Amino acid sequence: MAYTGNILRVNLSTGKAVKEKLNENWAKDYLGGKGLAIKYLYEELKPGLDPWSEDNKLILMTGPLTGTIAPNTGKLAVAAKSPATGTILDCSIGGHFAPELKYAGYDAVIIEGKAKVPVYLYLEDDQLELRSAAGLWGKGAHETEHSIAETLGDVVTLAIGQAGENLLPFACISSELYRQAGRGGIGAVMGSKNLKAISVRGTGGLKIPDIRKVSMALNKIKREDTMDEENMWAYTDGTPMIVELSQTTGILPTRNFQEGTFEGHENVDSEAVKGVLRAKKACFACPLACGNYVEKGKSRVEGPEYETLALCSSNCGIDDLEAVIEFNRLCDDYCLDTISAGNAVAFAMELTEKGIHDFGIRFGDIDKYLQMPWLISNREGIGAELAEGVSSMADKFGGKDFAMHVKKLEIPGYEPRGSWSMGLAYGTSDRGACHLRAWPAAVEAFGDLDPFTIEGKAELVKDMQDDNSVKFSAIFCDFWAISTGRMAEILSIFLEREVTAEELTTIGERVYNLARLFNEREGFTRKDDYLPRRIYDEKLTTGKTSGKNLPFEEYEKMLSEYYALRGWDEKGIITEAKKKALNL
Amino acid sequence: MKALFFHAEKCVGCKLCHLACSSQNEQVFNPRLARLKITSCYDRNGLTVEGKTCDLCMSCVESCPVDAIVEKNGRLAFDEDLCTDCGLCVDICPHEVIVGKDRGIGVCVQCRSCVNWCPTEALTFEEVNK
Repeated sequence: MAYTGNILRVNLSTGKAVKEKLNENWAKDYLGGKGLAIKYLYEELKPGLDPWSEDNKLILMTGPLTGTIAPNTGKLAVAAKSPATGTILDCSIGGHFAPELKYAGYDAVIIEGKAKVPVYLYLEDDQLELRSAAGLWGKGAHETEHSIAETLGDVVTLAIGQAGENLLPFACISSELYRQAGRGGIGAVMGSKNLKAISVRGTGGLKIPDIRKVSMALNKIKREDTMDEENMWAYTDGTPMIVELSQTTGILPTRNFQEGTFEGHENVDSEAVKGVLRAKKACFACPLACGNYVEKGKSRVEGPEYETLALCSSNCGIDDLEAVIEFNRLCDDYCLDTISAGNAVAFAMELTEKGIHDFGIRFGDIDKYLQMPWLISNREGIGAELAEGVSSMADKFGGKDFAMHVKKLEIPGYEPRGSWSMGLAYGTSDRGACHLRAWPAAVEAFGDLDPFTIEGKAELVKDMQDDNSVKFSAIFCDFWAISTGRMAEILSIFLEREVTAEELTTIGERVYNLARLFNEREGFTRKDDYLPRRIYDEKLTTGKTSGKNLPFEEYEKMLSEYYALRGWDEKGIITEAKKKALNL
Repeated sequence: MKALFFHAEKCVGCKLCHLACSSQNEQVFNPRLARLKITSCYDRNGLTVEGKTCDLCMSCVESCPVDAIVEKNGRLAFDEDLCTDCGLCVDICPHEVIVGKDRGIGVCVQCRSCVNWCPTEALTFEEVNK
């Protein structure tokens, strides 16, 4: 059984919930996860909808393999219209929530409306309760999870902290303390609905024919493919290993993307993190266990991940691992996306140092840096300005050319001047600057391809976006470098029909185009697919990227080539022929 | 006699052992029906990892009034036809790893699916009194 066939639709305004049938045609065309969540939002959200309004919907979507023994399939897609960008927004969160929802009997939960007072949802199989969150409101996500666990026992919980309650455009959702649906203000959508947490316990199971035989076959795949050399970096190091790669290739964002190398990198690289490692930690059904549970001084966190190390360490000029761990912990507790938070702090530091606006915080100032998560989450002091994100800060204070965002979403940890393909990936990502829609740096800056040419990059980015779209719709974790053929093999077992790699590639392309169509409906066109001027106009000065920029004309050419490959016109609008071909 | 051993320091909390056990022995993916209990959770004190597995203590064998659970060649064996669903074994198991079902119970039969699936060798199958 790949799908339970049920969706739970909860209306917080009325307090009523209905169980409805999963749309099987859509499930066939979009699989689940990212794709299916976007399909529901595309069909159900009125164009031009204010993302802060109660008519925005929050969708929790599992995939056809969720809850089974298929490796690396335990994540959950969480989607809504983004209050940060106004685009479609889908996030992915690990931990153990997704399988629990499936065992409770649901493929998805669609949350509508707004509760009159703060509430949290408690779902156990067929029973749903809206419980008062009066005692939890104002608390961090960590206290919220502990407190709910003390009341309800072994439930799995998604929760928001102060940042979500205070409607920050970069508030995230936390689960099991240190796993996040991170970007685009997905936690603020929960906050805008007065929804503090969602807890679930599912006691049912999933049956498939020949289950023993299937399990044995999947164990072989797990041993020979999932746990092979290509993927075991996740266990041996986890994402901190990227610090050294980025440093060596000159794409480690440093001091608000002013440089691509950081003199203090050795204090925050994988070896440094290993020095404080206490345990490895995995999501449900994952043999790779990328999580690093660390303790240093009084602080502990599962992390810090590479993105946090890049944006909150080198990009803020902080080379003290203990400070970064504490910053990380605070962000996870208050539910701040560390990519956007690191960018906002770094931008304030540069504005201060350049004398454009005095925020009273400078690169490397650990004491002030550690005050930032609280001030930002609660909109106190300078935090009130940083809480709006770098785009809004630039509108108010200046520095637009080095406010590092695309479509108002702050840029992740790969400097585009040393990885031109990442520039295109950020520009054409469906939710603003994101490294997960495509991560071409892996084969370009970190691989064999020349990072300083546009040749072949449009095709590279397009293909990766399509592959990841189907991967996140079937819901395989990003960290298993699984081939489309292998995905087809596994899906064929559970969907009980022959799924081909070609079919999956088409689904990936369909999903990416539907996301684009959603954004197109909201008025997004080519004009929105550009990077901050710093990337085009300023040359880096250190390391392997010294003397490098990404010339604007080159970016223009790459973008046009990308549109042509996509079957979009020069303005980035999807052609009718492409829509027809993809059955959109 | 050999039995399962759990090594908390190696466990990553992926639950693959639970899925392996329930699919092998109950023909369903349902971690709650696994005949072992491995938990890895963050609580107020940090990360707590705990594992409970059958160590062949024989409490269930000794408690069963109708000999529905017996030890054969160092393994437990269960006979559903003899079972009266009294639930004594479930209650008495010091590790809480006997699964109560609508009809009958599930005891660890040392199929070692959990050991075979564990990605980090946190579960091993070793001599009990070595």
